Amino acid sequence: MGEYQSSQLDGVFNALCDPTRRAILSRLTDNDARVTEIAAQFPISLNSISKHIRMLERAGLVTRTVQGRDHVLSLNAGPLADASEWIEHYRRFWEGRLAALEKYVLNKRKRK
Amino acid sequence: MNAAISPAAVVVRRTIAASAEDLFDAWLDPEALVEWMRPGTIQRTEARNDPRVGGKYEIIMHADSGPIPHRGEYRVIDRPRRLVFTWNSKFAENTLVTVDFLKRDSRTEIVITHEQLPEAELGSHTRGWTSALERLDTYGCGA
Repeated sequence: MGEYQSSQLDGVFNALCDPTRRAILSRLTDNDARVTEIAAQFPISLNSISKHIRMLERAGLVTRTVQGRDHVLSLNAGPLADASEWIEHYRRFWEGRLAALEKYVLNKRKRK
Repeated sequence: MNAAISPAAVVVRRTIAASAEDLFDAWLDPEALVEWMRPGTIQRTEARNDPRVGGKYEIIMHADSGPIPHRGEYRVIDRPRRLVFTWNSKFAENTLVTVDFLKRDSRTEIVITHEQLPEAELGSHTRGWTSALERLDTYGCGA
């Protein structure tokens, strides 16, 4: 697994842990979008949307490019890959440990 | 599950033909831990612990690249039903592992739930993990 900081992953997990932010990310998987376009798609204030977007930016999941008066958002999938990698790492780790635990306990019983 | 923590993270299950007591004890006995807490890439494992609630443990896995320490504190020791401990390593700071031992006739199903604790330690409500855009379905949020 890659060398990364757990604190960065914390930010990713926190950022993902909200349905509005997940919806914004889903929208950005299709193509880049202006902040105003994103805001128009959600029944909450522009201020609230801006907060969600800033959180996604801090987590490194979204990049903002200013083009004239438009703020264009694009998805940065790198941190998501790190999060998936973490999950896969520990899934494999614990599956392996449980297999080893079974072997250990069954062997110990035979020795008794 | 404890409602104060997020419901799911990495969840791994295995049903083993052994008693819950024998399996539970293997999690707290350092002599057992050094045997089975040793992934294939690890040459040897060291383990020491203070198996009581609030007690600490240390499991050091020695890889070719050097030692990989794992440290934490026991939160729940409910023999032979449930074991909860924090888990910190260079890959996983501030995480929580819950191990449930479920009797299945003469066998025991072990369910391991390993989750991130981003803010739980601060005492506020906890947010957990969620799907990486629906690609993974084995973990979710606490809200």
